[in-house]
Amino acid sequence: MEQPLTKLRPGETAVIISTNSPQNNPHGRHGSNWSTNVGSVKTGRRRNFQKRLEDMGLTPGTRIKVVKSAPFNGPLELQVRGSRLALGRGMAERILVRVER
Amino acid sequence: MTKNQITIALAGNANVGKSVIFNHFTGMHQHIGNWPGKTVEKAEGTLQFEDYTIDIIDLPGIYSLSTFSLEELITREHIAKEKPDLVINVIDASVLERNLFFTLQLIELETPMIIALNQMDMAKKKGIEINEKKLEETLGIPVIPTVAPTQKGIYDLLQASVDVIEKRVASSSTIRYGEEIEKRIGKLDRSVQRLELSYPSRWVAIKLLEGDEQIEEIIQKKDKEMLSLAKKLRGEIEKIHGHSCSTVVTSERYEVAGCIARDVQQIVPPETPQLRDKIHALTTHRIAGYPVLAATVIFIFFAIFSFGDYTSGLMNDLFFSFKPFFESLFGTGILGKLLWGGVIEGLIGGITIVLPYLFPFYLILHLLEDSGYLSRIAFLMDNLMHKIGLHGKAFIPVMLGFGCNVSACLSCRILETEREKLIATFVVTLVPCAATSVIVLGLVGTYVSFQWALLLYLVNILIILALGRIAFKSLPGEPTGLIMEMHDYRMPHMKTATKQTWFMLKEFVKMAFPIIIAGSLVVKLIEIANLLDPIKNILSPVTVAWLGLPAITGIALIFGVIRKELALIMLATLLGTADFSQFPGFGPIQMIVFTLVAMLYIPCISTIAVLIRELGWRKAWLITIFEVVFAIIMGGLAYRLLILANIWP
Repeated sequence: MEQPLTKLRPGETAVIISTNSPQNNPHGRHGSNWSTNVGSVKTGRRRNFQKRLEDMGLTPGTRIKVVKSAPFNGPLELQVRGSRLALGRGMAERILVRVER
Repeated sequence: MTKNQITIALAGNANVGKSVIFNHFTGMHQHIGNWPGKTVEKAEGTLQFEDYTIDIIDLPGIYSLSTFSLEELITREHIAKEKPDLVINVIDASVLERNLFFTLQLIELETPMIIALNQMDMAKKKGIEINEKKLEETLGIPVIPTVAPTQKGIYDLLQASVDVIEKRVASSSTIRYGEEIEKRIGKLDRSVQRLELSYPSRWVAIKLLEGDEQIEEIIQKKDKEMLSLAKKLRGEIEKIHGHSCSTVVTSERYEVAGCIARDVQQIVPPETPQLRDKIHALTTHRIAGYPVLAATVIFIFFAIFSFGDYTSGLMNDLFFSFKPFFESLFGTGILGKLLWGGVIEGLIGGITIVLPYLFPFYLILHLLEDSGYLSRIAFLMDNLMHKIGLHGKAFIPVMLGFGCNVSACLSCRILETEREKLIATFVVTLVPCAATSVIVLGLVGTYVSFQWALLLYLVNILIILALGRIAFKSLPGEPTGLIMEMHDYRMPHMKTATKQTWFMLKEFVKMAFPIIIAGSLVVKLIEIANLLDPIKNILSPVTVAWLGLPAITGIALIFGVIRKELALIMLATLLGTADFSQFPGFGPIQMIVFTLVAMLYIPCISTIAVLIRELGWRKAWLITIFEVVFAIIMGGLAYRLLILANIWP
């Protein structure tokens, strides 16, 4: 089942499907979860976010494990590519994953 | 014997032990400053090795060569434009895959390089065995295993560097992307070659496919059609993969890094959890993490301020004991007054702030960062800091601000983007520092009531939240969410920490002292030239009419610029009494208004000096002027509100 990374419980593993989930994007273009529409500031910003996520190793197809989350809706601790990442919730919401059970 | 001048740059991810290697190389021959016009730290040093004089540059620790942060831009500009003779890519053997992702990008920049496979001891503890020969063959680049803290491999690293430079061989390997991407890189590459840029053409072609803004801008000026070609090719790749082209390229790069890592390493994780894993679990625990954090913060505060207060007092006494001797030399005339009150007292003020407070502060900050605890603090505090548009890492500067704005502003450099640094620095200058607390507690706390003092703190914090939020909403640029590596806990390297602290202090002294001395000289000149009265009168529309304060407070506030608590001390001097309740026209309302203004009105001169250093003149003045105006407005409003409230008839 596809869901945002934030829905995962600690200890669960998942595979990243997309790092640019339109679910939380008010200007989301349905049917396509990536966009190359340069020119719009919003898109530019989103692209930069996405680039940052991917540079840190969160690319589509990557297997990740949620270790825990900080309280009060804090960031998630992830196990990715043999390293430990802290990821803010706002960014985690953009990541769409398929849970492995 | 001929002396050859060569340049070597150290590049790599954050926290891979780069600075420890840098320190082994350069010893005391180093200089820490900023990149020209940038707020990013630049560490340079020299060393003699065989026939060579080697300039070493420690590039910022980064994870990629895109355009996310200033650090990334600086690094790739430096490598592509300055063309160091060699890049030593320091990589963390215990997190090989992530580090190789960066290595692959360095290779694409076609710079001569070697790899320092550092933290081999950490890798071994995690049960990771690396076949470095195989890594060397795969990448076509010399790989030297090192353990930086014990100096293991440092000599070999230099030897290998010189060997590579003498042979003048560029790195021979390239990463091959999928066929459909390679075809399009080749197409673009051929057109880019004609432009004769200072960057490698294949790299530019790849960056165009990734949609790199900076490279697009450069190409835009030279050949607009190439951009539409790149866009078309990008579209084709996107059609094939169903992801944006930049995503595809990054994925493939990571894929290659992962393949190499799996190929050269064998992992047998230790069966029992290690101590550092237990510490990690404790310090990030959703309940236990917070008491540990609180204890650490309290400890740091006590350590810095008890040490600072003690040494600062000692030094003050020591310096002032020279006053009679000084006066016997220069007399107590205008020259004597100007020299002592303007120059020497400014100097003393500077020294007694810088050495006692900044030294332990820098050291502790460095140790916190190096050990890995800083990133855990950021993890725990991220949500709270989001309320003012910053992420978890900004908690440290804001917290330190309650001690001293100077050190707090300096610590804002741990933040990643220019925008975050600016917001955090601005917020920090509004935090009431220890000296401001002297006024709050010494005036309102003593003569009005402790509750009113607390209320003032509360108002100040609300103002910080509000202004932080406004700055966050109104500043251009994108807000950044938290994304950071939490590297394994490790023992910080004391020698490196102390040395870096020392060089940072030196840099600060050079920058800030002239400003501090000039500032106090001006104030003293005003006093000697008998300008206090005219100034008092000039300020009276603001102080008397708007703020409802006695005119004399205007002068006290001017002195507060040098050190905040001087506002109160000068007020006592000017009034000729330290019992403020005896002073007519200075009732509870005036005390509260005066304190509120003093809390907000201007960062002290040392803080302004840091603002100039960290943000440049323009932003430093903007912040300063804004705060003066803002404090006056708030003070006037508070005065009218308090009159209306009619608490003290």
